[in-house]
Amino acid sequence: MISLKELSPAAQNNINTKFIVLDKMKTVAMEGQNKTCLALVADETAAVHFQFWQDECDAFEPGDILQLTNGIFSYVRKSLVLRAGKRGSVQKIGEYTMAFVETPNMSEIRWVPHPNDSHNKYVQESVISSHSRIFPPMP
Amino acid sequence: MASKLIGTAPREAENPYELSIRQAFDALESKLRPPFALTVPNPQEYMQLNRAILYGVLCEPHFAKVHIKHLHAIVTDGYALFVSLLVKVVKELYVKLFDSVKNQLIWVTKEMINVSAVGFDGLLVSLLRQIVGGDFSDGNLWLCFELVSLFLGKWDCLLEEESLVLSSALYTFLRLLADHCRLLTNSKLDVLKCLEIDFCVKMLREQFQLCLKIGRDLIRLLQDLVHVPVFRAIWKDLVLNPSEFKTPGFLDISQLYHLRTSSRYFLTRITPEMETQLRFLLTHVKLGSQKRYQAWFAKKFLFGPERETLIVDIIRFICCGHHPSNEIIQSDIIPRWAVIGWLLKSCQKNHVETNAKLALFYDWLFFDESVDNIMNIEPAMLLMVCSIPRYIDMTHTLLDFLFLLVDNYDVDRKDVISRGVKSAFATLVHKGVVQSLDVLVSCKTLSPYLKERLRKIQVLEVGVPNELHLLHISQHSMETFNLPSPTPCSETEATSKNWGIRIAN
Repeated sequence: MISLKELSPAAQNNINTKFIVLDKMKTVAMEGQNKTCLALVADETAAVHFQFWQDECDAFEPGDILQLTNGIFSYVRKSLVLRAGKRGSVQKIGEYTMAFVETPNMSEIRWVPHPNDSHNKYVQESVISSHSRIFPPMP
Repeated sequence: MASKLIGTAPREAENPYELSIRQAFDALESKLRPPFALTVPNPQEYMQLNRAILYGVLCEPHFAKVHIKHLHAIVTDGYALFVSLLVKVVKELYVKLFDSVKNQLIWVTKEMINVSAVGFDGLLVSLLRQIVGGDFSDGNLWLCFELVSLFLGKWDCLLEEESLVLSSALYTFLRLLADHCRLLTNSKLDVLKCLEIDFCVKMLREQFQLCLKIGRDLIRLLQDLVHVPVFRAIWKDLVLNPSEFKTPGFLDISQLYHLRTSSRYFLTRITPEMETQLRFLLTHVKLGSQKRYQAWFAKKFLFGPERETLIVDIIRFICCGHHPSNEIIQSDIIPRWAVIGWLLKSCQKNHVETNAKLALFYDWLFFDESVDNIMNIEPAMLLMVCSIPRYIDMTHTLLDFLFLLVDNYDVDRKDVISRGVKSAFATLVHKGVVQSLDVLVSCKTLSPYLKERLRKIQVLEVGVPNELHLLHISQHSMETFNLPSPTPCSETEATSKNWGIRIAN
């Protein structure tokens, strides 16, 4: 189990973590039958954008506490999102009773390949925005 | 095998408690049919057998009687374990239970009353807590109906075995009647309403000494029902003929004013889920980060035509049922007054707002340092003081309301109310909740009238808190404000006078 602050982009389905859903956009239909929905999720250490896929879009609501098993944090059409992916899964394990922060947002960080690492590791280069630009904090 | 107990949404994790009783049933299913084993189970086996029987009773209605017989045969602890497992089902799973399981739950509860199971009163209270105020859904009205029928049906037994639980039921049904008598009637609701009235009237007329256990909030609830003829009659007797209740020692309604209501009663009107969320908000969420939590709470519990009446129950719970530690008070966690401020701002209907403010100030009116808890009156004071910089309207509305209560809440016992409020202010200053009333008295944006009234209280504060002295000042202040002196009044006047606050609003 890792905390969201420990996320860094990688092409691996090995992320196990727990977070609360803060906000959710409208579900969009992609090409074919596929549906996706972007959400803001967070834990006590950081926030991140999460991409729901197919029935996940309707299964979860803001305030739900979710557990991600074997998820992946990577670029999907140039935006950096956390998602279950084909090999992972996401389940509702509770509601409401989880503290969170909205900054930093791990999707709003510019990452660059590690200068001398052969395993496609990324490091933080700069903060694009302290908070989500898609889901602004509640006034 | 899929659960026969609860419905699980897609992509929802299994509930660990449900899993534990389902697995016990799966493992022991073959042993749950007669002939039953004659061996005496060890503690671990006893636990598993209780779990398995519980699952069987709830999920197999056609075998329920067999399962119960089995339980009667093996029980060695007065049903304490079985009842505690049932309470946990109600607390953790009730909203997800299938309808057939809910039927079984009521049935097995009656069985537990029949055998005087250890802890059945707690089971009844946990069921009462699942009735949601302001909720007119079929499921909620069904539970009201089942429980009020149960309390009437098992009346003698409950009275003999666990009479205190009847007072919790009275608190619940008086509160629900305020909902059920306000709405336009339909035949279904009428049947329920009649049963609820039967139960409450029986309690008040036949078991008044039990009703007294509720304390002052009994009056608050009854006030919401004075428009119903049977309750108006009871109200009149309370005010004018206390001897009607045949309770030795009960001579005047003000005796009830002086009995602080236990938080046990406020908890009956908050579901465990609401309680969990409110307590989380008040112990984990930092001031400034509460917006999303408030929005989620409101969406889940307060949206809906009559749902906002819950705000009144929640305010009573926060004032009297949730007292934060010093550690929390000194931290950056959202304080109770801020949550109450939000709740007051969420009131859309006038009658709800009035009742919510009354709930906030209720313990002020009868405050007596020797029996009352300063933590019950602290939120109102801090809300008034902390609202000054940015929300002076809130300070204004609250103070104005408080003095309106002093003047009108009970015109015939104005000295009592006056003394209570003065004592509340004095204690808040004395205990250091606020340094002095200067913060209000010297506030530029507060109306001169309110400041003048506060000054009168401040004068008193300096004086000796001696009862005679207090009485003297209270008479003096009544003259100062040119208020009508209490006069002997007819029955109807008594009612309308005690009802003054509502008329004034």
